[in-house]
Amino acid sequence: MNPKALIRSTTVVIALIAVFTILSEQFSVVKNFFALFGHHWIGKSVLALLVFGALYLLLSKSDENLDDNSIWWLIGTVVLSGLAIAGFYTWHFI
Amino acid sequence: MGYPLIFFHAFIGEIGLFAYLWVLVEMLNPTEIRIMRAKTAATIGVICLFVAWIAGGFYYVDVYGSAVKPAIKASDAKWVHSIVMETKEHVFLFLPPLAILTTSLITRFGKQLIDNKTARKTIILLAGLIFLLGFSIAGMGAIIASGYRFALEVGLV
Repeated sequence: MNPKALIRSTTVVIALIAVFTILSEQFSVVKNFFALFGHHWIGKSVLALLVFGALYLLLSKSDENLDDNSIWWLIGTVVLSGLAIAGFYTWHFI
Repeated sequence: MGYPLIFFHAFIGEIGLFAYLWVLVEMLNPTEIRIMRAKTAATIGVICLFVAWIAGGFYYVDVYGSAVKPAIKASDAKWVHSIVMETKEHVFLFLPPLAILTTSLITRFGKQLIDNKTARKTIILLAGLIFLLGFSIAGMGAIIASGYRFALEVGLV
């Protein structure tokens, strides 16, 4: 198991969840695509898991030495993605 | 009347979050036995968060969408759904990948966590992040429950 690839895959997937969320609210065609899985929320979940698996496979052969930067990139992405989602829905409501 | 599924969703989710607090504590000064306990805690945590994910999804589709959402949206507290619920249901999706990552790192490093400071720090920060993010999501759940109670009190249901 490549720990650096795991952290990088998680970082990208979390940013993608925020992008999927905002795009699906802005463009009904995107929301309808996610809804093909039964519900748009399930669609986003399934796609996020698939992207996570694919990215990990892609990155698994790369350098696996864990450094301090990886976790800070992940924490920054979680905070910014969370704020982007909350900010988007607040703006959308107003 | 309360819905048992939402109680179960919140309860199992919070058990999962406390499991990651347990991981954090075990990682502060790891020994072989503490690493084993951290692995057990992280496994319990990841299972609980996945069960909470599925229970929450069923509740959202089966109950919330047909009974709770219309009442909140018809009240003066419609922002509770439009901002808080929408944010909660999407930010929640961050938790399963973070939980899988933390559990995988503990498994991958095992006894090396005694000497590998970077890996240990990464796991401590991840476990703390899951705990704080999870409880901010639980707080949003409490706001949503209050919004529904408000809608019930003003006689919208």
